[in-house]
Amino acid sequence: MKAKPAELILSLAVFILGIGVAVGASQLSAAGGYARVGPNVAPAVIAGGLILLGGWLAYEALSGGWRNAVPDDPVERGEHPFHVAGFVWVSVGLIAQIFLIHTAGFVLAQATLLTCVARGFGSKKFARDFAIGVILALAVFLFFVKLLNVNLPAGWLRPLLGGAGI
Amino acid sequence: MPDAFSSLLHGFSIALTPLNLLWGFIGVTLGTFIGVLPGVGPALTVAMLMPLTIRLEPTGALIMFAGIYYGAMYGGSTTTILLNTPGESASIATALEGNLMAKKGRAGPALATSAIGSFVAGTIATVLVTLLAPVVVELALKFGPAEYFALMIFAFTTVAAVIGSSTVRGLTSLFLGLLLGVVGIDSQTGRSRFAFGVPELLDGIDVVVLAVGLFAVGEALYVAAYASRLEEKMEQLKGSLWMSKEDWRRSWPAWLRATAIGFPFGSIPAGGAEIPTFLSYATEKKFTKHPEEFGKGAIEGVAGPEAANNASVTGALVPLLTLGIPTSATAAVLLSAFQNYGIQPGPLLFQAQPDLVWGLLASLYIGNVLLLILNLPLVGIWVKVLAIPRPLLYGGILVFATLGAYSLHQSVVDLIILYVFGLLGFVMRRWDIPVAPAVIGLILGPLAETQARRALAISQGNSAVFITQPISATILAISFLLLIVPVIVRVMRRS
Repeated sequence: MKAKPAELILSLAVFILGIGVAVGASQLSAAGGYARVGPNVAPAVIAGGLILLGGWLAYEALSGGWRNAVPDDPVERGEHPFHVAGFVWVSVGLIAQIFLIHTAGFVLAQATLLTCVARGFGSKKFARDFAIGVILALAVFLFFVKLLNVNLPAGWLRPLLGGAGI
Repeated sequence: MPDAFSSLLHGFSIALTPLNLLWGFIGVTLGTFIGVLPGVGPALTVAMLMPLTIRLEPTGALIMFAGIYYGAMYGGSTTTILLNTPGESASIATALEGNLMAKKGRAGPALATSAIGSFVAGTIATVLVTLLAPVVVELALKFGPAEYFALMIFAFTTVAAVIGSSTVRGLTSLFLGLLLGVVGIDSQTGRSRFAFGVPELLDGIDVVVLAVGLFAVGEALYVAAYASRLEEKMEQLKGSLWMSKEDWRRSWPAWLRATAIGFPFGSIPAGGAEIPTFLSYATEKKFTKHPEEFGKGAIEGVAGPEAANNASVTGALVPLLTLGIPTSATAAVLLSAFQNYGIQPGPLLFQAQPDLVWGLLASLYIGNVLLLILNLPLVGIWVKVLAIPRPLLYGGILVFATLGAYSLHQSVVDLIILYVFGLLGFVMRRWDIPVAPAVIGLILGPLAETQARRALAISQGNSAVFITQPISATILAISFLLLIVPVIVRVMRRS
């Protein structure tokens, strides 16, 4: 039986996370008042759990792989091999939205997100996707701002939106 | 406390006001619409639609949520049957026979038996909730912090260790959730923990952000990477929607048996609707007079698991409402919806806000009826939703998912956390780590910590308090056995 590198790395990540939490917990106050249990106790318990679980996972990874896990071969799972562009485009959309929402505003940020995600799922019609994104996001924007009284950032489209939003 | 019947009648008088009826109707419709989307389960549906209720008063909002909760499940079964893409693990059993029925051109009766079965099971289960909840409340009023803590440990054990394919991966997920739960201000001492000087983290991490990150962003990343270039085959909805006499005759015993299986699983905090759906499937396979049809599209194989799912999900409202303990990811998101209104479910809620509780329970009956009326006639519309091209569909889902996370606090930090949780969700999906325990751990962890510290404060720091009180000791012992016995059995079998 051979070790599975990806599973081993994840196991060690859980283990190291546990160590990190333990270090963090040791810096928290131990003063607990009547309960004699301070804010440090729960993190310490969690740290212990993560360290044990990381070790257990590592043991499984080294002795034939995690038990009852899905097959490593995507085809065996009924899927296709890892599609880099698909993953990257969805990520680009989400990260772009983070930067755009407080600058370009909600409508343009969400339209960009929709366009990038659609690209990640194989769409080639950018203009159509963006147009649909703008219409959808504009409808949501107006619904939230005008009807629900929940403010969303108007951004660059403020002149067109007649002062709605923030 | 007045008896359940008069309380319920009072509840109906609240739920049946035109405005509340309207919220229920909107909830059911939107819940079904979003729930139909492939890959969107009930937990994500409730999380995504949360911002819609920001400005509603609590009773109306919770009535709307009840509608969303039920609608999402109905919508999910439509997708499962027509597309064979179960949106959640509790739908896998339905997918087995339901999709095969659709392939044989019997999609109509499959959808009908699942809708009517859900109605029957949901209604019976709601009656049982109505009768059981006041009893549990009476019992729960006698519980102290030690008992609550023990019950929460029990819920953790069943959710993380007993359900799912691997105890160690379930527990890992739970502990990740517990870790996220300690981020922010400690409610007992006011000190900040693991906030790293980020002011947005002081309030803690919102369950909605975690649920949306794991279920929507993680799912989108995963599908884009591994399944976006697959041909998807949708079964056509042709022929009659109606069930034949034979279909009825074979369906109703399955519905009733499944209700009997599903409800107890939901109502003791034994977590999740997955086990009862598979139990029901196995039961129907055993009882059927047509064993040759199983594996080729047997109607009992749809009727049973669907009804079991609904009964168990409804049963889960008992621990949620009476004890404040969620036993599924969906219930965890619902609990966070309660908390957004400053409402902490538990026995005291039944006394403090009877209007809200009984209005909600009454609206469950109404929601079930609304769904039955809506779902079958409108199935043509739901099918059209499924025909939206995948790229636009996932783009749209993420637009609404990020909206749900952003509109909580209008914060970019939430969007950054959302993406990080998305990456985590991707890894968990790829390496078969269940996500529900993390969601439950995040919301239940801080509550368990509070109860433990209260119990210890009462006992002046004597930690034996958890094992010297009989109820707490018993529950903890059962939890411990549930955790340890399967491991021992496995080790003994190997040697």
